Amino acid sequence: MKRTTLAAIALAVTAGLGMTGCAGAAGPAEPQAQEGKTRLTVSVWNYEGTPEFKALFDGYEAANPNVDIEPVDILAEDYPQKVTTMLAGGDTTDVLTMKNVIDYSRYAGNGQLQEINSVVDSLDKDNLAGLDAFDVDGKYFAAPYRQDFWLLYYNKDLFKAAGVEDPADLTWDEYTALAQKLTTKGADGKTVYGTYHHIWRSVTQAIAAAQNNGDQIGGDYGFFEDQYNTALGLQKSGATLDFGTAKSQKTSYRTMFETGQAAMMPMGTWYISSLTQAKKDGKTNVNWGLAPMPQKKSGGDVTTFGSPTAFAVNKNAAHSEEAKKFIEWAAGEEGAKAISKIGVVPALQNDAVTDAYFKLDGLPTDELSKKAFTPDETALEMPVSDKSAATDKILNQEHDLIMVGERSVADGITEMGKRVKSEVLGQ
Amino acid sequence: MTAETLKRAPAVHSRGNRKQARRNTLIGWTFILPNFLGFLAFTLIPVLAAFALSFMEWTSFSAPRWVGLANFQRMVQSDTFWVALRNTVLYALGHVPLTMALALVLALLLNRKLKGIGFFRVAIFFPYITSLVAVAVVWNMLFSPDSGPINQFLHAVGIANAPGWTSSSDWAMPAVIITSVWRDMGYYMILYLAGLQAIPTELYEAAEVDGASPWQRFWNVTLPSLRPTTFFVVVMLTVSSFKVFDLIVVMTNGGPGRATTVLSQLIYQEGIGEGKFGYSSAISLVLFVIVLTVTVLQFKLQQRRER
Repeated sequence: MKRTTLAAIALAVTAGLGMTGCAGAAGPAEPQAQEGKTRLTVSVWNYEGTPEFKALFDGYEAANPNVDIEPVDILAEDYPQKVTTMLAGGDTTDVLTMKNVIDYSRYAGNGQLQEINSVVDSLDKDNLAGLDAFDVDGKYFAAPYRQDFWLLYYNKDLFKAAGVEDPADLTWDEYTALAQKLTTKGADGKTVYGTYHHIWRSVTQAIAAAQNNGDQIGGDYGFFEDQYNTALGLQKSGATLDFGTAKSQKTSYRTMFETGQAAMMPMGTWYISSLTQAKKDGKTNVNWGLAPMPQKKSGGDVTTFGSPTAFAVNKNAAHSEEAKKFIEWAAGEEGAKAISKIGVVPALQNDAVTDAYFKLDGLPTDELSKKAFTPDETALEMPVSDKSAATDKILNQEHDLIMVGERSVADGITEMGKRVKSEVLGQ
Repeated sequence: MTAETLKRAPAVHSRGNRKQARRNTLIGWTFILPNFLGFLAFTLIPVLAAFALSFMEWTSFSAPRWVGLANFQRMVQSDTFWVALRNTVLYALGHVPLTMALALVLALLLNRKLKGIGFFRVAIFFPYITSLVAVAVVWNMLFSPDSGPINQFLHAVGIANAPGWTSSSDWAMPAVIITSVWRDMGYYMILYLAGLQAIPTELYEAAEVDGASPWQRFWNVTLPSLRPTTFFVVVMLTVSSFKVFDLIVVMTNGGPGRATTVLSQLIYQEGIGEGKFGYSSAISLVLFVIVLTVTVLQFKLQQRRER
């Protein structure tokens, strides 16, 4: 074969490779919407495992036959990074789901989202929980459709077996005593813990901030002290799984509660839908109920913390008007009812929605559970600011050290303040 | 092809020849083009961009802004940077010598003709081809302070105060090092095995005739003959130690506190996590300079020894 021919073949092959490479980089061809329909794209995480998205999309498509919703599915753990990368690359996904308010403040602050005050104004603002978190100097760049908050899950059978009353109106001291009382060594030698505190810092820090009006990005953390003493006391008396073990074994809070290894568990409302689903699927037979979070004093208001999830319109959206219409629907009563049906707590809270919620199959119907569902005050889990992400990282690291007993509570709190002030606040 | 080209070679300046040379070059370029394009797009350009970005402030949303040495100034003042640098060096100091020594010992043990030796070689190599995430998760369970088999064993042999491993700031780094040594030693053992088998048996025979003891044979024949392999192993190990990321992220995620936070993880946190791409590029530039310096030093030492 002549060399020219060889070169020609090589070039052709290279060109071919290059071209397929480009085609690959551009991603699969966009699926065509059915004739005459608008194809609205929405970024979501873990589509299969987060049924609220399908509930919303199906509901909206049924109400608006001319719209075809296409989820852009992203791995839950990579969600914020992936969305950041997409936005930086000029992606035209129409609706962006704001997984938490810290990310929201970053996107909004960087001008990646459209202002949607017109949408927010048409909503039932007074009953839309968590809306305040999206207020950036009077401008809204997202509207919440879901508001999770923390309450106390408890195992009714274990309570009955120990002969104690349901955990209504607990103070933290009563809660500690109760947890110790409920801790038993099972017949098979396995410990049943009185409670389970998951390894997240919010379990200790966010509730302390909510009930003491503390500022988690302020740099002074004295208000954490009582909560840490409670958490460490529980751990020391063996009434909860030790933090180091939970962390190194990557203990799942679901397993702890669903297999009856913990009699109580402070956790967010997002767990309700997975718990009812697990029960429906026969994966657990735990007889559970809900109670309000323990408080500093008995008889007062119930204060807890939570965080909203919201939809926003991408600055580069291909279909801005349709995107706004979808958000208006999702944050309104129709959207709220659609996700209530599967046990997800909507941001819109009125009687009609709560009724729809408690009609859900498998939900406890006792009065205490219903009361737990209407806390008097729900503080934001973490304040919204451009300093939130960096502060969160430091608080997490120091939380670890206090919980594994490497630092005393006082030293840990001092160190948090020192590091936040020097590394984040620049003092 | 070469013979043909040589025969035609004399008329250096002839037009036909120049054409031929150009054609040859073109063919050469064509062959490396696919690989080079990939290298250009995914390695060279990003590296140069990172170099430039380390003097800028860039959140990935807006245009980069020139800030001069501000990123480096911030880095030097940041406590976390020094913690991460110290941890990275500690990890390298533990990981490089331990892996090298164990790999050599294993290679010596397995460098013999024995029935079933292949099985043992494969067994030692296995961790290297196991998914790193699986390795990290399983070792985490082994290291569990209360219920983990390692501490249960330590209790059984009478050590009352067994270390807290990944839940203790003092022991988290040793735990990570042990895991990484276990994982990597099989790979470097294979390299040493290849090196051992390249040593001519005549050398050993001659040494034996001269009355050298096994220890002397190892010291004066095996080790010097393995020098090129050792050099390669040290360079590869050092580079990979400074780059360590995945194992630490899965095992401890830099904790407890900052006890196992390493530079590459800090780069990830600052850049991808918090969107400070300028600052994280500055840290990666420092990491690059460190790795480059260490590698150049090793090359210099090797050259001096060879002289």
